[in-house]
Amino acid sequence: MLSSDTITRIRYKYLPDHLIGEVLAKRWIDNAVPFLALAVLVAVCGAVVPNFFSASGLGDLGRQVAEFGLVVLGLSIVLMSGGIDLSVASIFTLAVLASLIGTNVENLSVPVTFVMVIALGVACGAINGYLIGYLRLRAFLTTLVTLIIFRSIYDILFLRMSTAIVAGFSDSELLFYIGDGTILYVPVSLWLTAAIAIGWHIVLSRMRPGWRLTAVGGARRSAYNAGISVRRTVFFAYVWSGALCALAGFLFAARIGSTGADTGVGLEVSALTAAVLGGNSLGGGRGSVAKAAMGALFVLILGNSLTNFGVSGPVNSTILGCVLITAVFVDMRWLRNRQKWLSKIYVSPAYLSLPAPPKATDPNSPFALNDRLRSVDIIGLGAIDGPEDVILDRDDNLYCGTRHGDIVRFFGPDHQRHEIFAHIGGHPLGMAFDREGNLLVCIGGMGLYKVTPTQEVIKLTDETNRSYLSVVDDSRLRLADDLDVAPDGRIYFSEATVRYEQEEWATDALECRGNGRIICYDPRTGVTQTEIHRLVFPNGICMANDGCSFFFAESWIATISRYWFDGPKKGTIERVLANLPGYPDNINRASDGNYWVALLGMRTPALDLALTMPGFRRRMARRVAPDLWLYPNINTGCIVKFDENGEILDVLWDLGGVNHPMITSMREHKGHLYLGGVSNNRIGRYRLPDADPAWRAQDSYWGEPT
Amino acid sequence: MIHALKKIYADFRGFDETGSAVPMMDGPLKPNMALDAAPVALHLPDVDNLLATGDGLICSHGGDVMRLAVDGASPALTMTHLRSFSADVTCLASDGAQGLAIGVDGQGIVVEGGRHDGRQISTPNGELLRAPTAALFLDPDTLVVAVGSADNLVVDWKRDLMTRGSSGSIWRLSLAAKDQQAVPLTRNLAFPYGLASAPDGSLVVTEAWRHRVIAIDPGSAKPSRVLLADLPAYPARIVPADDGYWLALFAPRNQLVEFVLSEDAYRRRMVADIDPAYWIAPALATGASFLEPIQGGARKKLNMLKPWSPSWSYGLVVRCDRLMRPLTSFHSRADGRIHGVTSLAEQGGSLFVGAKGSGVVVALDTRLEILGQ
Repeated sequence: MLSSDTITRIRYKYLPDHLIGEVLAKRWIDNAVPFLALAVLVAVCGAVVPNFFSASGLGDLGRQVAEFGLVVLGLSIVLMSGGIDLSVASIFTLAVLASLIGTNVENLSVPVTFVMVIALGVACGAINGYLIGYLRLRAFLTTLVTLIIFRSIYDILFLRMSTAIVAGFSDSELLFYIGDGTILYVPVSLWLTAAIAIGWHIVLSRMRPGWRLTAVGGARRSAYNAGISVRRTVFFAYVWSGALCALAGFLFAARIGSTGADTGVGLEVSALTAAVLGGNSLGGGRGSVAKAAMGALFVLILGNSLTNFGVSGPVNSTILGCVLITAVFVDMRWLRNRQKWLSKIYVSPAYLSLPAPPKATDPNSPFALNDRLRSVDIIGLGAIDGPEDVILDRDDNLYCGTRHGDIVRFFGPDHQRHEIFAHIGGHPLGMAFDREGNLLVCIGGMGLYKVTPTQEVIKLTDETNRSYLSVVDDSRLRLADDLDVAPDGRIYFSEATVRYEQEEWATDALECRGNGRIICYDPRTGVTQTEIHRLVFPNGICMANDGCSFFFAESWIATISRYWFDGPKKGTIERVLANLPGYPDNINRASDGNYWVALLGMRTPALDLALTMPGFRRRMARRVAPDLWLYPNINTGCIVKFDENGEILDVLWDLGGVNHPMITSMREHKGHLYLGGVSNNRIGRYRLPDADPAWRAQDSYWGEPT
Repeated sequence: MIHALKKIYADFRGFDETGSAVPMMDGPLKPNMALDAAPVALHLPDVDNLLATGDGLICSHGGDVMRLAVDGASPALTMTHLRSFSADVTCLASDGAQGLAIGVDGQGIVVEGGRHDGRQISTPNGELLRAPTAALFLDPDTLVVAVGSADNLVVDWKRDLMTRGSSGSIWRLSLAAKDQQAVPLTRNLAFPYGLASAPDGSLVVTEAWRHRVIAIDPGSAKPSRVLLADLPAYPARIVPADDGYWLALFAPRNQLVEFVLSEDAYRRRMVADIDPAYWIAPALATGASFLEPIQGGARKKLNMLKPWSPSWSYGLVVRCDRLMRPLTSFHSRADGRIHGVTSLAEQGGSLFVGAKGSGVVVALDTRLEILGQ
């Protein structure tokens, strides 16, 4: 019989709840609803419509999809740019007429007709685009007017030319091939449309013109401020719409070979339904080719199936209208609520059971409380915001990062004056000096950077290898945290979590899952490779004195481990310290060959209990406002000195956090300990009574300079 | 069934049907720092039960009852020891002359001085009123006592809240007859903590865990009336003022606490395994230990605890009108040092505010308060 605790543990170990939030955070999730709707429709129609899956049925559907899909794609492009194009159907019909005049009446060659038709579409689109893009007329009204004008032109021309069209005849093999030919059982026109769709997909998702288009549609003013030519972008959106509609008209003419008074009537409504149904936002800025394609398929299959069942045209239109209304409603709800749902379910706690922490209140405990840090000297009070890590060079200059994205240098030996050593833009976290004296920095949200002594900033890496099974794109570095350099120059750095950004790092404590990893960057080859996976908020990396292993802390499980990357024990991990009373952060060397570790906050019984109850934390994340969530107590910190065997040698406290509410890092330098804290506005300096007054960390790594 | 459907609908629409939404401090309850700005009259750990008697103020700290004297024109108070008990003094009441009713945690009420000196109060079953939280003389011969809980002592108030206790009661006793016993006026209250008599003769009771002030009729068994509900903090003592009342609120309500109250499994384990000082629960004072839980908004930024941080403790005094409508309020916010106000006493143009959590008495100038309107 399993205890309920065991059941909870197993349930949270093997049911990956966090994937729901991660899937919902993906951009492609917008396609899920239309895709499901389409799948259901295909299943239903396939079951009830006779010959739905027959070759002729599919071939005919394919040709219709090719033409209709182009119109929907053109309309979707305009929608993405923030406009609307009601004249798609009129341009389509004009193009049909023009093709037929070209091939049947004037007997022009097919390529010439083709060029002429596309030029007609471009011209029509350009009229729309000029009026809307450059003269800033309302898209809806303008295209409504051009819809009527283009349609009227069609009606006038059709009356004059209809006899000639019916009388004429094109015997072009090419035209027949375009209209009725197949390649590998798939209609030629569908191949053509597919090629265009893939091209547009690449443009929209991978290329600048596409990004500009969505930017203009998403936020016109911001796009303008970002330097995008809004008018030109809008203009070309309508031009493309016109051209694609004209191409659709050409394909239609090639297939049918005639036209009638009702050609293209109601097409704009169907196309609009398809575009919105697929998930293209009417408000602009959100859409894709896949959405357009799904919408087009849905509308065509629905329409054809209804026709197949003998539903009359008007009823058919009514049903389509209802579908449009439903699609608009679902789209609106989805858009409004997706972020809300996401914020409610993204936090996905895991099970973690920690033994009771050692009692610091017990005077015989190795962690016994004291007030030794209350008397620290303060450096740079109010001049810095968030020195997560501090480091000193051989000339006693003190470096720290700030939340404003700077590295600030305090000039030694008194650290009264300071300057901005380098501006990087992200919050600098862990720091280390390499053999050449370059400052290596982990930047939250940006990656691993190097600042040379001449203050030049160089990006070393901002991505690692993508894991195959991760839903979150874990190739980008989100929260590079602390680093250290191996004797051969390889840089090992931790990424605390792949699920949260810099400013939300503490939320990861609610999850306590192995969201982090340790990554190696090899400057000799420039290759970045993930070295250790699934660590719980890995933090603080410090090379051991043996030169072939390093210590690392896993904050939320309150442990420090050692990893051998070289030597006979290569690849093994050993636990050095477990069940600390607080959450370990940066680790650094001490002058006596031991190591300092900062505890960034203390464990609390209420949170430790909550860690064994993931359901409680999940409901809390949903029902309680984030500022009121239970967090690790990071208002009190302390510093612990330990040796390679996991013995606690010394503890420095600031009870109540008067001078240093939280301590995320400390560096020993010439008999002093320098303290940093990620949300502090100061650096502390504590005199170590028994330390070597000449010891410099850089020398312990790279030897005395010659 | 209907309840389940209602719950599903409420979850879907996103509104709260548990009644656990914490009201905003707004309007007359808009936060300020008036308590922190007020002059400190006395530093006394665990100061409680401030009481204005015929000849000066008295108060308790721990098991000691002290007499306080105003020291000239300054608000500072000087203190003389009156007497001691083996357990915490949990309530004091004066009959307006020499008589004093003293409630002791776990030992019940005893009357000292005056006509009924040495009188012990017990129930008809012969039980003592073990957890008295407030007492009030309606007249020199009639005493009303509020008992916070039948299950927990007053010192265990946090347990009573976190086990959703509602076993409090109000008792009435005529002292004139020697062997008469107390009769219950009402039962099943959620920690009644303060008593005052209203001008219309009814009895005003603060009901802490239901964050409201109710009125009951001391003579009959009529159901109670709600005077003031949906308070953003847990009310403690209430004292009459000129055409109204002063209301002390001893700890803030907190959305996380309300959530924990609805989470039975977690709450049970917390109550069973963890020291009450480290619970997710309201407190009289916070920041004493790093083992206390903290909330996201209470993390220090740039070495500062922001005044608007969520907190387990708070200082709040509310001035209400005669219909118990709040008029104005005096706060000590998350970063303040006058937390856990349990008792109030008005004397000589000053309202003395006893912050048990912080162990401080401050003096509010009541004339300034009127001007501040």
